[in-house]
Amino acid sequence: MRTNVRRNVAAALASALAVTALAACGTSSSGDDKPQASGSSTDAATPLDPKAKVTISIDCMPPAAKAAELKEWKEDVAEFNKTYPNVTIEGRSTPGQCLEPPRFTAMLKAKSQPDVFYAYFTDLQQVLDNDGAQDVSAYVTPASVPALGDIDKSVMDVLRRDGKLYGVPTSNYTMGLLVNRKLFQQAGLNPDNPPRTWEEVRAAAKKIAALGNGVAGFGEYSVENTGGWHYTATMYGLGGDIVGPDGKAAFNNATGRQIVDNLRAMRWEDDSMGKTQLLKWGDLQKQMASDKLGMFLAAPDDITYMVQQLGAKYENFGMGPIPGGAATLAGGNGYMFKKGSSPDQIKAAVAWLNFKTLTIGKGQFQYDRSKADGLPVGLPQPAFFTGAGKAKDDELKAASATMPVANFKPFLDNPVPGKPEPVKAQEVYKVLDKVMSGVLTNKDADPAQLLGEAEKSVNQVLGNQ
Amino acid sequence: MSAPTLPRDSRAEFVRAFKRNLTAHGFLIGAVLCFSFFSWYPMVREFLLAFQKTEGGATRWVGWDNFRYVFADPNVWQAWRNTLLFTGLALLLGFLVPFVVSLVLNEFRHAQGYLRLLVYLPVMMPPVASILLFKYFYDPGYGLFNRALEFLHLPAQDWLQSTDTAMLSVVIASTWMNMGGATLIYLAALQGVPGELYEAAELDGAGLLRKIWHVTIPQTKLILSLMLLMQLIATMQVFVEPFLLTGGAGPEGSTTTVVVLIYQYAFSFNQYGGAAALGLCLLVLLAGFSALYVRLSRDNEN
Amino acid sequence: MAERTLISPAQLGRTRGKILYWTVLVLVVAGFTLAFLGPLYWMVANGLKSTEEFAQVPPTLVPDSLHTANYEAAWKVMDLAKLLFNTLYYALGALAFQLVLDVAAAYSLSRLRPVFGKAVLGMMLATLMIPATVLVVPQYLTVLDMPIIERNLLNTPWVIWLPSVTNAFSIFLLKRFFDSIPQEILDAAAIDGASALRILRSIVLPMSRPILGVVSIFAIVGVWKDFLWPMLTLPDPALQTLNVGIYSLSTGVPENHLIAALAMASAPTLVIFLIFQRNIMSGLTAGSLKG
Repeated sequence: MRTNVRRNVAAALASALAVTALAACGTSSSGDDKPQASGSSTDAATPLDPKAKVTISIDCMPPAAKAAELKEWKEDVAEFNKTYPNVTIEGRSTPGQCLEPPRFTAMLKAKSQPDVFYAYFTDLQQVLDNDGAQDVSAYVTPASVPALGDIDKSVMDVLRRDGKLYGVPTSNYTMGLLVNRKLFQQAGLNPDNPPRTWEEVRAAAKKIAALGNGVAGFGEYSVENTGGWHYTATMYGLGGDIVGPDGKAAFNNATGRQIVDNLRAMRWEDDSMGKTQLLKWGDLQKQMASDKLGMFLAAPDDITYMVQQLGAKYENFGMGPIPGGAATLAGGNGYMFKKGSSPDQIKAAVAWLNFKTLTIGKGQFQYDRSKADGLPVGLPQPAFFTGAGKAKDDELKAASATMPVANFKPFLDNPVPGKPEPVKAQEVYKVLDKVMSGVLTNKDADPAQLLGEAEKSVNQVLGNQ
Repeated sequence: MSAPTLPRDSRAEFVRAFKRNLTAHGFLIGAVLCFSFFSWYPMVREFLLAFQKTEGGATRWVGWDNFRYVFADPNVWQAWRNTLLFTGLALLLGFLVPFVVSLVLNEFRHAQGYLRLLVYLPVMMPPVASILLFKYFYDPGYGLFNRALEFLHLPAQDWLQSTDTAMLSVVIASTWMNMGGATLIYLAALQGVPGELYEAAELDGAGLLRKIWHVTIPQTKLILSLMLLMQLIATMQVFVEPFLLTGGAGPEGSTTTVVVLIYQYAFSFNQYGGAAALGLCLLVLLAGFSALYVRLSRDNEN
Repeated sequence: MAERTLISPAQLGRTRGKILYWTVLVLVVAGFTLAFLGPLYWMVANGLKSTEEFAQVPPTLVPDSLHTANYEAAWKVMDLAKLLFNTLYYALGALAFQLVLDVAAAYSLSRLRPVFGKAVLGMMLATLMIPATVLVVPQYLTVLDMPIIERNLLNTPWVIWLPSVTNAFSIFLLKRFFDSIPQEILDAAAIDGASALRILRSIVLPMSRPILGVVSIFAIVGVWKDFLWPMLTLPDPALQTLNVGIYSLSTGVPENHLIAALAMASAPTLVIFLIFQRNIMSGLTAGSLKG
């Protein structure tokens, strides 16, 4: 009997090997066996050896639906390859948003990110927790990125941890109040002077909602963490904070209460926020693009989104600073470099990103080409250049502007200091979603209770570091 | 080669048995491997995860910490309440409606095929498409349902946007999507009820309801209880409907179910330990129902 | 018509009975048509509306003008052809794996009866007691880094195909069916010297068509309807299933385009269902009823 069992085990193992081999041969090797460059140099300071063949995969290439941007991407790759014929850029595209948080988390867990991967500024902690990004401090220098000196230091700092740099920015934003100019005019409001305080927002929303036909004056999110995100933005505008310096929830106070009370008044007393609630990112854009919504808090690139994906027109939108104007939620995105990339890959990637996203007059900043391709020029985003770089960029931008830049004048002329997102932002936002959905769906919601419960939950989240 | 001490016959017997086993295990091994990798090992891992915590790449044992954390989270209790509410409503609607529908359909001598087809149509749609459709129908502004209520001069509802009706709305959508299967099963069961029993009941002067109560239900009891348990097990694990209809939250978190919370713990907040601890609680609860199901279906066999 | 049901034929035969019967019938037919075909009509019609007309309050019942371009745009932007193909590819692969591995396993457990066979069957059936959603987290962590073979199965079809084999219910159905095949038939073949594989192929499988049909439908429907698992394990947009693809693109397109996409996504299975309705419906009920 014993031999019997042993033989059976042997037979089992043999078939097991067959099956595992079967499974293994079809699996993607997700970055385990990178094409190793020949003649590569490990010294970060030396420029990329032109003889070294390098392939880098990179995500957030424009999808087919964004035809003009894809065309520019291809042109840029071709031009880049004139200088760097040895670098092969493997673009990966995503229809819709480049980054969806659950998908991004899964990607990090699986270490299946491309060599150069798109990330939000707020993702850095998560990326580092998963040991996903390479320290590129030695690679990003004024030599490899000539415009480095002109890039806002506070923006670069967001991508640093313990003095090490983990990425380069490609865009950044600060939030403001996006308005539908058509509805403003119809309601007898001045679209060149958007509301600057929440009292003004409320009054304007009331007038816009009075247009009828399902038009809402002001819109807010309340699910999928976007509600909490906007609560935070509103809080910053009013000079408040979400997480205090002591690491505890700091929103259950008069300012926090004021936000809730104001939303409650607009939603239930004025009925100026529409009936449809439980909205998330994408929903308000759809409403505004179809002229059903007067105002909402947004970053400038929401306008591009509405024009390109939803068929709206630029001249229809304008922007003002965030109501309150004390501080505004700042964020952005950039590229990070997968841990384990070879020095040549990082050099190639920095060279490409420098060309595509950080050179004034080139790549994303080649405004005359964008104009010729029918892409928007004139949006106040990205806005990470300072000093002479900013002046040059603004000049080029103005020369090729395709949209009435004057519509953003209130936003640009009243710069509000940017403020980064709170720690554990997504978990905190999830909790604050409840405050938003509570006040927006329940006429009798008790603001004190909503905020009290949220404070308790947020403290629990923050305590579980 | 050492000489075997076995007599010739039994040696041949042994070789035959050995060959038979070799073949048998060869047939079995593919499935066993899949089960090992994707069922048995994850099952063990679920238990381990519940008592571990991973931070910055290092995993350590934390005893009951994950459970303590989970039960201190007010969202967890809300999620259990929501799940029980969903289960209760889903059983009320999802269990009763198909049964009544099948009772009615079974009486029809016409159009039965057409009606069966209709009831089953939603089952064949991609669930995400059905759910997104309902999301449009529920819209309090331009949504179809409030239009219909208006047409009937009934007051408009907030559907997904009120803590009172959000879960009910989720259940209605879920019932529409899933009732086809249960209806067909009940229809098949009803066809097995001997007609003489109804005749006998009529001779005793039984009315419609009494016939249902004293003949139909006892005759289909086993199928009914099996389906009840199956739906209980399935509805306690509801995820897609609340996740897509209400962003997994709903007004003030009133549609966050246990499985939605497990998903959020694991995939939004990176707390695999909390997710596993909560999962383990659900597992213990549902394993009880499953055991009952297995026993009942064994009775069904005999 | 011979079957006697709840309401006696005598009652139905009376004039009052007849009136009542037809009233109820007409009401139910109308109600069901509205409840089950209505949404489908709404979907097709709203997919044809212009953006302005879609957002109009009150909404129109019949589109004022037909914008078939919505369908073209949705098809292209959401890349529905690819999503449909992906889903079909995963479903057929899962079907093949289940048919080969689960049938072999069930046959072995039923007829070849290896040592430990009972224990293996017991452990397989035990998985039925574990709620599937609970296992998603550890399963996900497992496929990220497969033990022993040290591969990451994410973004590969294996991540759908191989776990689909762990369908204890199908193995149970198959085994029970194989148990019911008379032993004499198999013995006769065995005496002729046929191997186990040959017996399975030429005798057992041809006899098992009905149960194979049931198991096949379960396999395909399982992949077709699944959402959470493919969402987690196939994050690459080029590899997504129809359900996940529609979900992740739903925010990025105008409403009328999205609805057009929903209509197109629903069409293939609805058509297949209308053609094979008898087989599908009887297969599914038979399977569940006996379970």
